[in-house]
Amino acid sequence: MDIYDILFWGLSVMAVGCALGIILSRNPVNSVLFLILTFFAISGHYILMNAQFLAIVNIIVYAGAIMVLFLFVIMLMNLNADVEPQKGQLVQLAGVISGGVLFLVVLAAIKSARPEVIDKTSTDIGLISNLGKVLFTKYVLPFEISSVLFLSAMIGAIVIGKKEHVHEVTKAE
Amino acid sequence: MKAIIATTVLGVFMMFAGIAANNKKSIVAIAILLFAALFGVTIYELVDTPANSSQLLFNNMLQIEHSSLWFNMLMTGCTLLYVALMGKEIMKVGMHVAEYFALIFFILCGLYILTTYNNLLMLFIGIEILSIPQYILAGSDKRNLKSSEASLKYFLMGAFSTGILLMGITLLYGASSTFYIDKFGSILHYDNINPLAIAGMVFIMIALSFKVSAAPMHMWTPDVYDGSPTAFTAFMATVVKAGAFFAFLRLFHVSFNSLGQHWTLLLAVITAATLFVGNVTAVFQQSVKRMLAYSSIAQAGFMLFAILSVSSADASYGMRGIIFYGVAYSVATIGIFSVLIKLKDYTYDGFNGLAKSEPFLAFVSSIFLFSLAGIPLTGGFMAKFYVLTAVVKQGQLMWLVIFALLMAAISVYYYFRVIIAMYFKPGTPELNSPITTGDRILLAISCALVLLLGIYPQLFLESFGK
Repeated sequence: MDIYDILFWGLSVMAVGCALGIILSRNPVNSVLFLILTFFAISGHYILMNAQFLAIVNIIVYAGAIMVLFLFVIMLMNLNADVEPQKGQLVQLAGVISGGVLFLVVLAAIKSARPEVIDKTSTDIGLISNLGKVLFTKYVLPFEISSVLFLSAMIGAIVIGKKEHVHEVTKAE
Repeated sequence: MKAIIATTVLGVFMMFAGIAANNKKSIVAIAILLFAALFGVTIYELVDTPANSSQLLFNNMLQIEHSSLWFNMLMTGCTLLYVALMGKEIMKVGMHVAEYFALIFFILCGLYILTTYNNLLMLFIGIEILSIPQYILAGSDKRNLKSSEASLKYFLMGAFSTGILLMGITLLYGASSTFYIDKFGSILHYDNINPLAIAGMVFIMIALSFKVSAAPMHMWTPDVYDGSPTAFTAFMATVVKAGAFFAFLRLFHVSFNSLGQHWTLLLAVITAATLFVGNVTAVFQQSVKRMLAYSSIAQAGFMLFAILSVSSADASYGMRGIIFYGVAYSVATIGIFSVLIKLKDYTYDGFNGLAKSEPFLAFVSSIFLFSLAGIPLTGGFMAKFYVLTAVVKQGQLMWLVIFALLMAAISVYYYFRVIIAMYFKPGTPELNSPITTGDRILLAISCALVLLLGIYPQLFLESFGK
């Protein structure tokens, strides 16, 4: 059992354990914190697979941006374990059915998976330098043109967010 | 390619002009000049490119064809007409006039990408560049709750449809391991096609149908078009929609024309539903602006015919149809919106007696409405003629053609209600602002264009007449 295996099993236990923690904890804030830990564990798996970029993006986007959004929503709506609304019987039944169907799909996918076709030789394709090279050669046009997209999004933030002059507002009223 | 660079640079320039210029009138004047310059660039690029040539740029990301450049040129011309007609109204919407024009430049950037893309990544970026400025423009009238509602609704629904588009692209990539739209034809074969590819194709079709507001993905259209400031609705319903249609046609023409058996029936059902919902619901509207929103759905149904026809061997009819329909519909709709925006009351009653007080305004709006209804001698008639001919040549969907003719007959009812209100009902319509000589000249030009499209269509079809 080398260091790779130890890390792999450690991260896997952490990912599954934290994932269980998300759904088992009564307090929504705890759930969110468990979710962040899960993302970190998954990022660790990405690094084990030599995909640095994916690992970093996973932390920045999911653990950083999206989780903060989740926390904001939970805090703004002031959700607590005791004020959690009771779900009706029908909703619970629907949840059980859809969860069961998803479980079936995952089970079928695992059953039909063939581990012998997995390519275990390490690749460098996920390294940031290689990704950068592809981005600036083969995909340079979409990469550059997306700046127009971001520029218009920034204009949007200013146009929608900026306060209009006061005398205009009073005139309208 | 020159046009993409030009429109981006001009858009940025427009933003800085907003800082430098001290009043709104000069910003509008600068915007009109810059759009005229952009029109010049597209004409130059068209003249500069030899006919029947096709060049691949940036590792095959873009494929510049003569038809795409022709369409770019016509759409930029429509935008110039739109900015000239609506400039004064855009000025009244809010504080950030220069930014609105910059966003229109960026929308054109998305449109140029959508007419030349050769890679699904470019399709995605093009669709997004086309959509995001629209969400902002829809919500630009911040004091109006309906405008904010329109913006939020458009944004949420648009984000949802983008998700579906991405899912479709992913599935197609899974089935063919390529993003290049010219490779799908050789990889995907009709008889032993991967089910993933069919699912991907249907997902992309649904997402693009959403963008062009085809039923049953049309639910957002009336609320968004009704809630947005009228000055921007005129742009969203015309040039943008024609651009999305061109992208739709391009994908199904280049990639999936050999797989016609798999998607023709589904698209035919969508077309029939779009025609039915658009025309029948438009009949019951009380507000002319809302009626025009439904009429844009109905017109989308006709434009879908061009896409239906590309599964046949000769796709030039479909291409010709979409270009001509896009222009004829855009000019007439921009025209009728620029008349509508002058009126205080957007209901049918608001038009009562317009022929008495403003005979010129009543005359030109009648011409625009004739064109939208498809009366001979106007552009709308030739446009409907071209798209329906394309499907008749393809030869499998005669039932749909007959259904479309029936629906076109229904459309006459709600378009003519406006004309009846103008000419035969008593009343004095209230105007927002007096009609200046400049307005009259521009309206006369658009009116002349509509008639020219109907009398001499070859002029707008240069290289597709054969």
